[in-house]
Amino acid sequence: MLKFQLAQSPRRSFLQIGSLSTFGLSQAAMLRAAESPRQESGNAGNRRAKAVILVYLGGGLSHHDSFDMKPEAAAEVRGKYLPIDTVVPGLQISEMLPMLAQCMNKVCLHRGGAHNNDHHETATNWVMSGRFGSPFGDWPAIGAVAAHESGFPGTLPPYVAIPRNPSFTWELGKSAFLGGRYESFRAGDPNEASYRVRDLAPAEPLPDVRVQRRQSMLAAVDTLGRAIEANDQLAAFDQFQQRAARMVLSGEARDAFAIDAEKTELRDRYGRTTFGQSCLLARRLVERGVGFVTVNFGGWDHHAKIWEGLEKKLPDFDRGFSALVTDMDQRGLLQDVLVVAMGEFGRTPKINKDVGRDHWGPAASLLFCGAGVVPGRVLGQTDRDGAQVVDSPVGPADVACTIYRSLGIDPHKHLYTPDGRPVPILQEGNPIEALYG
Amino acid sequence: MPTPPAAALFLYVARCLLGALSGCLTVAVPLFLLASRSFAQSPPPAPSFTHDILPLLTRYDCNSGGCHGKLAGQNGFRLSLRGYAPEADFESLTRESRGRRVNPAAPESSLLVAKANGSVAHAGGRRILPGSAGERLLLDWIRAGMPGPDSAEAALERLQISPRSAVLQPSEQVRITVTAHYADGRQRDVTWLARYASGDASLLDVDSSGLVQALRHGEHVVRVTFQDQVEVATFTMPRNETLSPELFAVASQPIDQHVFGRLKALGIPPSPAADDATFLRRSMLDAIGTLPTPAEQRAFLADQSPDKRARLIDSLLQRPEFFDYWALQLGDLLQNRVERDHDVRGRKGVRGFHQWIRQQLVAGRSWRQLATDVLLASGSTSENPAVGYYIVTIGEKAAEESDIADSVAQAFLGTRIGCARCHNHPLERYTQDDYYHFTAFFTRLALQRRSPDEGETSLHVATRHVLNLRQQLSEQQAKLQQTPAPAADEQTRVQQRISELEKEIERNQQAAVTVRQPRTGTMLPPRHLDRSTAAISPGEDPRVQLTHWMTDPGNRAFSGAMVNRLWKHFLGTGLVEPVDDLRATNPPSNTPLWDYLNDQFVQSDFDLRHLMRLIMNSETYQRASATLPDNRYDQRFHSHAQARRLPAEVLLDAISAATGEPEPFAGYPLGIRAIQVPDPGLDSYFLTLFGRSERVTACACERSGDVTLPQLLHLQNSDSLTARIRAPEGRLQRLLTTSATDTDIITELFQAVLCRLPREDERAAVQAQLAAAATEERAAVFQDLFWVLLNSREFAFQH
Repeated sequence: MLKFQLAQSPRRSFLQIGSLSTFGLSQAAMLRAAESPRQESGNAGNRRAKAVILVYLGGGLSHHDSFDMKPEAAAEVRGKYLPIDTVVPGLQISEMLPMLAQCMNKVCLHRGGAHNNDHHETATNWVMSGRFGSPFGDWPAIGAVAAHESGFPGTLPPYVAIPRNPSFTWELGKSAFLGGRYESFRAGDPNEASYRVRDLAPAEPLPDVRVQRRQSMLAAVDTLGRAIEANDQLAAFDQFQQRAARMVLSGEARDAFAIDAEKTELRDRYGRTTFGQSCLLARRLVERGVGFVTVNFGGWDHHAKIWEGLEKKLPDFDRGFSALVTDMDQRGLLQDVLVVAMGEFGRTPKINKDVGRDHWGPAASLLFCGAGVVPGRVLGQTDRDGAQVVDSPVGPADVACTIYRSLGIDPHKHLYTPDGRPVPILQEGNPIEALYG
Repeated sequence: MPTPPAAALFLYVARCLLGALSGCLTVAVPLFLLASRSFAQSPPPAPSFTHDILPLLTRYDCNSGGCHGKLAGQNGFRLSLRGYAPEADFESLTRESRGRRVNPAAPESSLLVAKANGSVAHAGGRRILPGSAGERLLLDWIRAGMPGPDSAEAALERLQISPRSAVLQPSEQVRITVTAHYADGRQRDVTWLARYASGDASLLDVDSSGLVQALRHGEHVVRVTFQDQVEVATFTMPRNETLSPELFAVASQPIDQHVFGRLKALGIPPSPAADDATFLRRSMLDAIGTLPTPAEQRAFLADQSPDKRARLIDSLLQRPEFFDYWALQLGDLLQNRVERDHDVRGRKGVRGFHQWIRQQLVAGRSWRQLATDVLLASGSTSENPAVGYYIVTIGEKAAEESDIADSVAQAFLGTRIGCARCHNHPLERYTQDDYYHFTAFFTRLALQRRSPDEGETSLHVATRHVLNLRQQLSEQQAKLQQTPAPAADEQTRVQQRISELEKEIERNQQAAVTVRQPRTGTMLPPRHLDRSTAAISPGEDPRVQLTHWMTDPGNRAFSGAMVNRLWKHFLGTGLVEPVDDLRATNPPSNTPLWDYLNDQFVQSDFDLRHLMRLIMNSETYQRASATLPDNRYDQRFHSHAQARRLPAEVLLDAISAATGEPEPFAGYPLGIRAIQVPDPGLDSYFLTLFGRSERVTACACERSGDVTLPQLLHLQNSDSLTARIRAPEGRLQRLLTTSATDTDIITELFQAVLCRLPREDERAAVQAQLAAAATEERAAVFQDLFWVLLNSREFAFQH
């Protein structure tokens, strides 16, 4: 295995000097970070998550047809599907989700998702960051902030998006002003026949002798960093050069992404779909220390022909998500991994003339499980037509706050924009205490 | 959950709040500093709402963006952000909550007082100590019957701060005092009410009482804000070592003299000059985005004439790649891109604007001429491709609701006024009124947007209403042309309608240009950002007056914005940072140099190449990037060249040039270079990965120089780089099939990638690898060397 670390070289000592300013913390930011206020302990206990999996249902899942059925409502509201019983007495969900119905005792369903925005990009940035609007473009996503706070503890990147970030007319889930260091690492589609992560696995493996030759010549040639001190970019290049080499050569990263190492039976249980295999890969990654994984499952924007659309998507979701929850539970991973499933909004109560449902900010259903969330319960409630939340509404900032608290990140801590403006991670929002009892 | 009105407005207001988040965590300071030397002549009058109460609420962060100043307020109590809307604040303090916030009968039990001093539970904690001057001020105001905003009060005219500048040693402290001067001649000490912010928290610490502490060597400012006035105090912390005067002996040009002036004052030694090979690579990368070929390197190194650097610079500024590269830079600035949604111009329009920009550069047109043409553009995109600027910045909105004013201010004046759209600018004198006065220049613009299959989109100097009337007029005129002709009475009716419409159009076009300030409802005329008025004759395009003012030789914002961008382009750090945030409270790091460069730019009638030539010929530009122990931490004063990652397009072209394998771009002929691609929407994993500008806003921050993990994975391990190293038609393979010796190949690979000859130790290291490998491994050794060179920092960085 190649280590791009030369224990005795001058570069090594440079690295140590430079390490203060590495990974995004300029000296100024370091000093400011030290004075960051409000060190809150919180009652961590079993609520503490080592990792988060965010299943993002981009486009907006129809809550009426999935988790918030309104069988008593008028035909143009209640839709096509019937509710079915679940393992949780008294809880019914859509007949399109039969496998999930058998594991609702492992998750907490929240029917109180609510905000007031009906625009994909704006709402997505809102729910993925907990903050609304910004003059610099979007806010850093929760995963990017989590990466910023955790740094780079292992070989694997701390924030991974499978297969990639959500994107409508522009890409969401980005690190925004935190800078490229905290951008999500895009894993690609693990359901592809010969899946490999871009630029991670060499097209053909390099013999050890060549690896060593490169290492030796690079040490002789790449001396710029010795002559130039205190340059943050050069230090970052050096750090990422070593990190990338470790990822490429160590086997640890390739193993993490080696979805074909999973048993065929288990892969089938998740479903041989992009979503199913993404869930499985997410589990592999959190097992190996990745702190935040987004499983991006878009395509829920059913303005027309919603039944055709849902009949394509709901079975994939049903199979993949129920397999994820069950598998994680069996492996004990739900002890300290928080799983959240949500989209950017719900959909309109009334079915439109194109047999679709449109964007609807005021009501949506969310799922939470693991890391201390009390399973088998339902929180929040919408009115008769599923139009407005009438009990325990939660907004994007509340969900974000819950995730941050779970990860042990103070949601009021200040981040700094490149020009030094202090910005609290969240400006509002409270943790959803009801999830925990 | 906030319940805002229209989502769009909410979005914008919420955006603006960001600029103002100072949090509500400042600890209240002891208030023994409150020597109130004010009101000397007369008995103390009742506290003024505008001049005392609002500054007090601002001073204690009550109306900050993290507390009651945010759009949704806090616990039902909402104030305007840092007091930009006095009337609304007065209303919510005295009338809302059934008057419980202030209680004249029992002032101490007013919630305003009791929450602030912590005697009633307050989520924001105790802000103002019981018995303090701040509390007394609140109580006095309530006792006096809560006088409201009074327009008859003399306005705050200026602040006087002391000291304005000082030389400190690290850990030394100094206190700033602030005196407010009012229009009626009154003065008072407002030190305790003013707010203070450090320009760089790692250099200077300042607390809420105005006590400044120097932290390390360098120089920066502390910003002082009181009501809508701002001032800065500059603190210099020189290193103590006496530097040999010989270090500063040669300063042949004004630029170098000014740079030395700062370095001497700060005790920072300059690095020596860069060698010829480094200079050649650096100047070519900066001026034309292109690596020197091995042949160019040989010729330059062989040239013995003393003026070869100056001649090289002159020749670079004439090369075709110069126009390519600067069309790319200006394309970023002018946001030339396909619209995100409902694009009306298409790639063809984007290419047209790109071509137009390049032609202006080839024709040697000045920045003043080019900017004027863009700012005054009208007509259709085929008649005038520069209309594209308005298509992107106005988009589908009405001009006065669009981003055009923000964009023009930032791109052409290096001024960020966007904050003032919703509230007074937190760092500058700009008020919401200033913002809308400026916006008024663009209210006579309307885009007639057509999707490409319906025809061309065009920009008209008229309001949307007038465009609508013109449409009706042409419909009526068409009626008269119909066959068979309409009946006589119908003709009369149509004629009458035509005449009405013509009058209506004329009336609208002649009407005074105004814009509605949405908060106050007042109609505001166009006014420049320095508050000078614009005399716009009836029917005149208001932008004409705007461009006259902008490009006036005395307008340092227009010249300075470009001077600063060019300086940053060549030196890596702007004289002002961020590069497009010029304001009185963010002064340049070297004022004499700033003045010199601006004067030169203006005197040359805004000739971009004159400025580039001056910069590139300076010793400052030609310094080595290697640091000295005593200048390594300097990133502001140009004691050494600043190493930085190459921009996306330049790096990709460098890989193509070094490997001899061009990068294919879909839709373009093979061989087109990345710096020539007009459209940032072109699908390219590499260019996106390395942070090209998406050109969504005018902010220079859109182009990213960040170094990221996937970038390094890509350089080390991408299929495309691996393939290029081994390509049959590529540089290495061609060399291997000739009779070139090992030494020749090593030399050429070093020159092709790093643009220099190998050092002896490097050559030896490669020779050792060749010696150790079997003969059939020779190609593999050279491939590994090629990979190593392409993965070195020396290749990926400008240095």
